Amino acid sequence: MLLHILNRSPATSEVFRQALAAMGPDDRLLLIEDGVQGAVGALFGRFSGLEGRLYAQEEDLVARGLAPLCAPSVVRVDVEGFVTLTEEAQKTVSWF
Amino acid sequence: MMRYAILLMGAPYSSQAAHSALRFARAVAARGHRLEGVFFYHDGVHNAARLAAPPQDEPHLVDGWAALAADHGVPLQVCIAAALRRGLLDEREAARHGKQGHSVEPPFELTGLGQLVDLGLRCDRLVTFGP
Repeated sequence: MLLHILNRSPATSEVFRQALAAMGPDDRLLLIEDGVQGAVGALFGRFSGLEGRLYAQEEDLVARGLAPLCAPSVVRVDVEGFVTLTEEAQKTVSWF
Repeated sequence: MMRYAILLMGAPYSSQAAHSALRFARAVAARGHRLEGVFFYHDGVHNAARLAAPPQDEPHLVDGWAALAADHGVPLQVCIAAALRRGLLDEREAARHGKQGHSVEPPFELTGLGQLVDLGLRCDRLVTFGP
């Protein structure tokens, strides 16, 4: 299982498509920085099918005022949770 | 306990990458893992600018990295090729290139790309923060 890390908003970058195409069936996706916009509203639809495997960095949601809008199925993790995700994955892949 | 390395390719204050990387680095150390090195590459080398003087009410990233090195013994490795072409020189390189003054000082160290390969081979996890 790999942890994919995405720091770009689906609204401004198409790199999320490459991340999704590269993901295996058990891989996880963590949204960080502007990537957390993908956990909110219509942009969340870009990641349909990842329920239970889609994570968002809590601090980055809060910094952008998006925490109250985060889709319920997105797993919110603080930076300690980020570290835990890297522990559980064999490797990490960063998309930017 | 696992061995971690961080690759940082974002300049300070240009993108969030350096903030994210430093926050992650602190969390890795707090968790009890061994952070074997932070490698600064591409525009990430600007994190080693010893003359950085951000406003006092903003996070001082250069000092933050130095504190990480002091508190946890984390090597701060800066790609020498990326650094020199961006005007980031330690005393030795400044002398070698006939430049007055220097812009990189310990705990940051100018080093080669081979060190990044070494980190990747030695560590259990290598986490990249891009711009």
